[in-house]
Amino acid sequence: MNKKTRISLVLIVFLMLLTACSAENSNSSAERNGEEKKKEITFLSNFPSETLDPHLNYTAVRAGVTETLVRVNQDQELEPWLAESWDTSDGGQTWSFQIRNNITFQNGKKVDAAAVKASLERNIQVSEAMKTALKIKAMEADGQTLNITTEQKLPQFPSELVHPNTAIVDSSVENMEQKPIGTGPFKVVSFEPNSKLELEKHGEYWDGEVKLDRATMTFNEDANARTTALQSGDADIVYRPAIESIEILKSDQSIKTDVVSSLRTHLLMYNSGKETFKDLNVRKAFEALIDRQVVADDIMAGQATVAEGPFLAESPYSPDYEKKFFSMEMAKKYLEEAGYKMKDGKMVKDGKPLTLKLMTYSYRPELPLISQLLQSNAKELGIAIEIQQVENIDEYLAEKTDWDIATYSLITAPRGDASYFLNSAYMAGGAINPGQIQNKQLTELIEELNQTSDNEKRNEISKAAIKIIDQEKLHSFLVHPNNFVAYKDYVLNWQTSTSEYYTLTKDLDVRTK
Amino acid sequence: MKQAGKRLFELVLFLFILSFISFVFMKAAPGDPVRYMLNIDDVSITDEQVEELRNELGFNEPLYVQYWNWLIRFFQFDLGESYMTKQPVLQELINKVPSTLALTFSSMAVMMLIAAPIGTLAALYKNKWIDHLSRIFALIGASVPSFWLGLLFMQLFSVKLGILPAMGKGTFLHLLLPSLTLGIAMAAVYVRLLRSSLLESLGQDFIKSARARGLSQKRIFFFHAFRHSLTPVITIFGVSLGSLLGGTVIIEVLFAYPGVGKLVVEAIVRRDYPVIQGYILFMGLFVVMINLLVDLSYRYLNPEIRLRGGDKG
Repeated sequence: MNKKTRISLVLIVFLMLLTACSAENSNSSAERNGEEKKKEITFLSNFPSETLDPHLNYTAVRAGVTETLVRVNQDQELEPWLAESWDTSDGGQTWSFQIRNNITFQNGKKVDAAAVKASLERNIQVSEAMKTALKIKAMEADGQTLNITTEQKLPQFPSELVHPNTAIVDSSVENMEQKPIGTGPFKVVSFEPNSKLELEKHGEYWDGEVKLDRATMTFNEDANARTTALQSGDADIVYRPAIESIEILKSDQSIKTDVVSSLRTHLLMYNSGKETFKDLNVRKAFEALIDRQVVADDIMAGQATVAEGPFLAESPYSPDYEKKFFSMEMAKKYLEEAGYKMKDGKMVKDGKPLTLKLMTYSYRPELPLISQLLQSNAKELGIAIEIQQVENIDEYLAEKTDWDIATYSLITAPRGDASYFLNSAYMAGGAINPGQIQNKQLTELIEELNQTSDNEKRNEISKAAIKIIDQEKLHSFLVHPNNFVAYKDYVLNWQTSTSEYYTLTKDLDVRTK
Repeated sequence: MKQAGKRLFELVLFLFILSFISFVFMKAAPGDPVRYMLNIDDVSITDEQVEELRNELGFNEPLYVQYWNWLIRFFQFDLGESYMTKQPVLQELINKVPSTLALTFSSMAVMMLIAAPIGTLAALYKNKWIDHLSRIFALIGASVPSFWLGLLFMQLFSVKLGILPAMGKGTFLHLLLPSLTLGIAMAAVYVRLLRSSLLESLGQDFIKSARARGLSQKRIFFFHAFRHSLTPVITIFGVSLGSLLGGTVIIEVLFAYPGVGKLVVEAIVRRDYPVIQGYILFMGLFVVMINLLVDLSYRYLNPEIRLRGGDKG
């Protein structure tokens, strides 16, 4: 055998191996979609999941393994889920939850008030965050009725129970991080942290027929890789593919796309501890200096909606906001009203040029770009902005006082209630109030909100509070990033959840050929 | 036996010093896991509650007390629990290390399959077309970012040809694309290193004397020159293996191949101290073992060391 023949043989063997791999792959696809007539789907998520423990991670709720007592709908209103109703006898400290009578866990055990109590007890034992949020003092189970007393008046308590980490599980089961037993439409088959979650239909699901036989949830944090996975057929539904691939995906006949505004808001924080930003006119000037449309269209490639306030305009607690517009002239006018004058190309007050420090962070890549846009607009008005990028913005803002402006991003109303944002961002000592905002009228309204349990009244108070935030320009709200989902055309009944809590549902289906 | 005991003592001392230094640096670095533990879940908290939890977890204790507590647990083979997953750190590492080792060794295999023949041919045919080709390969391989190469491979093998899975873990096929991506990037360096080392070996006196003794070209090349040229390659390899083990994170993220690199990056971001500390100790142990193996390999690769009685230290 000469050298050439040997090389040719090696090449042939290599090609045969590749072909074998290819054949094996296509065989499994055929089996998946055709011969066995099993309906299954692969959902590729951008949120990595280190554990499946529902009390520490959202994945179990997102994957339809577990459910909470209360859920939030697409209009950000609370809806009964495992609890069919709830009531408070004293305006928000003593609660009575009626658990549905027809529910069993995926292992066949009945879900009664005692099981729910045990699950919540485990919840506050393993999660410091939920212990802090729920403030449960005592629980008493009686048949299907669960009575809960909180440490203090907590009118937003039902809204806290929307949190995916309050999911109800059979707490007697071990191995919660790998195989939690919930009440949802899908049971866990296997789980590989940060890689793959395999699920199968829960045949006795309490809320009707589950359309899919099997589902797989995979995880990948890289947007380009997610796009590729959809194109290669490794995934049927992809959460947040790469923004630059939107046009390619839209032009593909076999792929559908869905875009909804998220509950997240990008905003500017002002440091009220600084003399400069104590002046409303300065805050108004910066409000006018930022071109929200450019942020939405250019910086975020059209994948954002211009924000009028902290919450989506259609939220039940959104007031009629003041009209926002970008105007350099107006910004200049407000600065002049604040006592600043243009001198030698610099904006000066009492002989001192206006120089500011803007904090930003790269976890959300658009935020440093928004900072640069503001810096560039401010420069035209003679304002010097020094941009500083930090790894952890929360820590920096909490520990330092040398900053003037900060870009920030958060989900303002994750659970169908405005009180989380209002308490955290505007009350003294609130964890996201590093700018030390203290507005007497606003504080009184939030305190009133914290004592009010009637939902309509709460919404009215929230609206009044947000109106003050809007008028006083305590923050400048910029855009709501969109949630973009792409999926194969054979996927049926996909709905992009605004809360991002619910992805695999009993209604999700595939069209079989 | 005496030497083995000495080595073991050195290892324990090294791990002790390493654990102390890493503990001090970790705590001295800015960062607060408590805010992550509370804030990450979008719950309404106050600064007071943050402080309460900090006290509860012992973060306000003096540093030496915190280290002492950690050390006591360590001697009971308890590396603590991850703040984020509430799982024992040892378990987390045990779960992740095999995947990373599989990726590391398969990448090394790819690297060797590429670097050994190309580097050898480039040395044998110095300044011929194969040498120029190897130089171009090395240049491209070293310049192309691995995540981009990975995306190209995904497009080619998963989207266009449809023969390999784009991501995930489970079968041998899942390992191919990440290994190929990492292996090619590594091979670029080793091709040049092997070439220059081989050229140097071929000019040595012992090669000339081997020729004078009438040994065949093949024997001279493989049993003398090639073996001798591996010494610097193995040295660099040993040094870089530690960083390779922890540096696969980009590939792990891109191919959704969960390993120890991703685990530790996540832990650093969230200031999950027990996981970081556990990882540092594991890596320390691993690097010491690798260095030991490299030392042993010298005795085989370079007869001079063996004949002189080796490294007596």
